[in-house]
Amino acid sequence: MADERRSSPTEDVRRLYEEAESRSAQAFEEVVSRGSFGELLARMTENVVALTKISTDVFDLMLRNLRLAGRQDITRLARQLARTEDKLEMVLQEVERLADELGAEALAGGARGGRRSSANGRAGSAGSGSTGSASTGPGSTGPGSAGPGSAGSGRGARGAK
Amino acid sequence: MNVVEQLVRAPVAAVQFANILLTQDDAKVGVTPKDVVWTHRKTTLYRYRSDRRRHPVPVLLVFALINRPDIFDLRPGNSFVEFLLGEGFDVFLIDWGYPDEEDSDFGLEEYVCDELPWGIREALRESGQDELTLLGWCIGGALCLMYGGWSQDNPVRNMALLTTPVDTSGSLYSTWVARDSFDVEYVADGFKAIPGQAVDWANKLMKPVTNYWTTYRRLWDGVLAGEPRRDAYQAMARWVADNPPFPAAAYRDWITWMYKENRLVRGRVRLRRRRVDLGRIDQSLLIVTAGADHIAPPHGTKPLLDLVCSEDITCIDRPGGHIGLMAGSKSRSEIWPDIVQWLEPRSQSTREGIRSGNNRTQ
Repeated sequence: MADERRSSPTEDVRRLYEEAESRSAQAFEEVVSRGSFGELLARMTENVVALTKISTDVFDLMLRNLRLAGRQDITRLARQLARTEDKLEMVLQEVERLADELGAEALAGGARGGRRSSANGRAGSAGSGSTGSASTGPGSTGPGSAGPGSAGSGRGARGAK
Repeated sequence: MNVVEQLVRAPVAAVQFANILLTQDDAKVGVTPKDVVWTHRKTTLYRYRSDRRRHPVPVLLVFALINRPDIFDLRPGNSFVEFLLGEGFDVFLIDWGYPDEEDSDFGLEEYVCDELPWGIREALRESGQDELTLLGWCIGGALCLMYGGWSQDNPVRNMALLTTPVDTSGSLYSTWVARDSFDVEYVADGFKAIPGQAVDWANKLMKPVTNYWTTYRRLWDGVLAGEPRRDAYQAMARWVADNPPFPAAAYRDWITWMYKENRLVRGRVRLRRRRVDLGRIDQSLLIVTAGADHIAPPHGTKPLLDLVCSEDITCIDRPGGHIGLMAGSKSRSEIWPDIVQWLEPRSQSTREGIRSGNNRTQ
């Protein structure tokens, strides 16, 4: 065969190496997929957690005795800030909901006014019906329940904002 | 290249190899211009700048709680975000940020019932639309599923799930963490925020030789051959090494619900006293699985097909790994166009032709 050629020693070595690597990869994957390895990992994780806990407590105690702010103090402050931000988010959502409602009312009012003025030229009070009150829909449940459907609240009013 | 040539080149290659490793933290990832739309605690909603928006329904990208969402926008020329923008989509990204000890009480409930719906709400307000597409990857996909199964009336028109774990039975992770001896409560109490490096270490341990040796050997081979693919390697390596902490409560929920009790597929997840019923999901659904995925293998995602009530389901199964499928060098030509092809007709102002009948394809 014209295409057939003998591989060089370097290529042979390389091929053998790649085979060995691939086999060892497979072997290691088999090892880590065993239950006994899982058991070992669980125990090791527990030990690491315990050591971390002990060292954190010791360092924190040292800092406290030196009258310095420790990790716990900073975390406590950050948590307070986070709580404040949660409340601000609630207020923001409530404000947006009210703005959307007002916008929808303004739109509905505008439509009513427009209909009245066009109807005046013809017959009478066509605007007396219930033309689209500010329906808040499922999306405008209060700030605490901004889950399902809240994303739908009042996009129509964006133009009025 | 013969042995002598290799030996002559080795010192230069060694310097170059070391340089690539030492400067990988300087690699630029996630550089597509974007604006902050909304923030709450560590969560940030971004909107990518574009003057080519053609499709009205925006796409909201949701990534996992481990690693950073920069993988959606890895590097110029190999960025899924860039690709979507080029195809005329309005792209939003929800970034969970870097949680810390103060967020230890942040569980899956907070992510699914607060952060995600709030992010959706703000994305819709910003885009001026009524509906959007949720595109979740890995845990991000599971969060999207939980949201879809929890909320009764949501503005999600389409859901695209990339390598998302649904049924975890028989997976390697469950071999490790579903056993009784793995005390997740103890771990979550000990670490208020599970260090990202620990999660990364566990992930790499699933394929130890590939992750700790073959990656570097291949880089060395490339450098020695004079084709180092520096940019690609550095961007991916930087992304892999960027591991935000996992909030303790979310970690406990994730391990317990998904691995110890396999609740999602059994319909036993409850959020804010309401059951997560995947049967509620009736959106157009795209499921992308990777044949060589060891984290969310296809057989762990496919059960979803029997749980949802969507009539329009497309399933794409391709060779590739958990991350490589979407962020590898071939993704741009092999998987992204398929995703865009699926998204396009479903991102128009009317739904004509999409929900007109049973449309399950694989």
